Amino acid sequence: MTRIILNLGLRLFLVCAVAAVGLGFTYTVVKERIDEQEHKQRAEAAETVLSSIEARPQEDPELLSSLQGDFPDLSGAFEGLDQSGNVIGYAFVLKSKGYNFITMAVGVDAEGKVTGIKVVTNEETPGLGAVAAENPSFLGQFEGKGPDPLTLGENVDGVSSATYTSRGITNGVNMALDIWRHLQERS
Amino acid sequence: MEKERTLWGEFIKGFITTNPLLVLMVGLCSSLAISTKVENCIFMGMAVIFVLTCSNIIISLIRNFIPDQVRIPIFIVVIASFVTIVDLTLKTIPAVYERLGVWIPLIVVNCIILARAEGYASSAKVAHATMDGLGIGLGYTCVLLIMSVFRELFGTGKIVMFKRTIISLGTDKMPVILILFPGAFITFALLSALLQWYQQRRKPEVKEG
Repeated sequence: MTRIILNLGLRLFLVCAVAAVGLGFTYTVVKERIDEQEHKQRAEAAETVLSSIEARPQEDPELLSSLQGDFPDLSGAFEGLDQSGNVIGYAFVLKSKGYNFITMAVGVDAEGKVTGIKVVTNEETPGLGAVAAENPSFLGQFEGKGPDPLTLGENVDGVSSATYTSRGITNGVNMALDIWRHLQERS
Repeated sequence: MEKERTLWGEFIKGFITTNPLLVLMVGLCSSLAISTKVENCIFMGMAVIFVLTCSNIIISLIRNFIPDQVRIPIFIVVIASFVTIVDLTLKTIPAVYERLGVWIPLIVVNCIILARAEGYASSAKVAHATMDGLGIGLGYTCVLLIMSVFRELFGTGKIVMFKRTIISLGTDKMPVILILFPGAFITFALLSALLQWYQQRRKPEVKEG
């Protein structure tokens, strides 16, 4: 009996070991490229949302880790610098819940006004939510609003047949404004 | 009557007689969900073909080494390893990964692959198992493509691939229901009925009584 168990266990172990070595090898090959891509995606989004105030985004890992305790959905924090290197705004990359998850970048200027938003990735239903997430006139109306929280239907118009997505994006913007206010209180 | 198993026969059976989606009806959940866009289906099809063929080859190679009692865990380990390889590789192409990300890990529990491992590859020669994997995988991809062309074209009025509009009907007043979940079931049922009708016609009629 013991011999059978040992035999089975050993064979199963052998298969798992070979698989683990193979996977470990693949991971080391692609890891660098994955990190690079994710980093590039976040940086591009930050640049887009800060372009209206002509700020250059600079990633700030310390700022990010100091905020992630209070805002676990935050995945990137950028300072927007002007030509002489002063901080004139922030860009936050964060995850918000629409119908599915939406990863978006929100730019906030020194007065707490939204400078622009960009949806990085969305898993919304194609043809419904996904349309709202790519709709420039819907996304554009957030610009210049803040720092007080926005309410869908009052100061923001949602997209019909995409209620969840409209709500998710509004919540994402509110989260960014929240972070901005949090930063103001801290300094 | 026992038929000689030819390699070509193993390959071609995946399209009609044992089509995984329309005849065996396995692996439906992900295919119903992703067939809203043609672009997604191409990548999903490629991922499934890769995983299915590789796992068929490996399982067929080690079929005499696998003890019967632990065969299922071993199949799952082999399949999961290939799925993880695909998952990691696709992560380097963000445009694809953002659309398919959720569904790639689910290939592990896609019944098609486990069913082929358990029901075929674990008792077949390597060459046959390879052809079986390719055939079933391509059969799966074909059905996905047919479904997604129908759903995307008539659900949104155009087919967009890699940010370029390939075909446009010139209107966006289309029945949105096609790209929603009910549309998936309706499309699938229509296709399945079509295949049944085709096969019925080919068979000599069976007289009743």
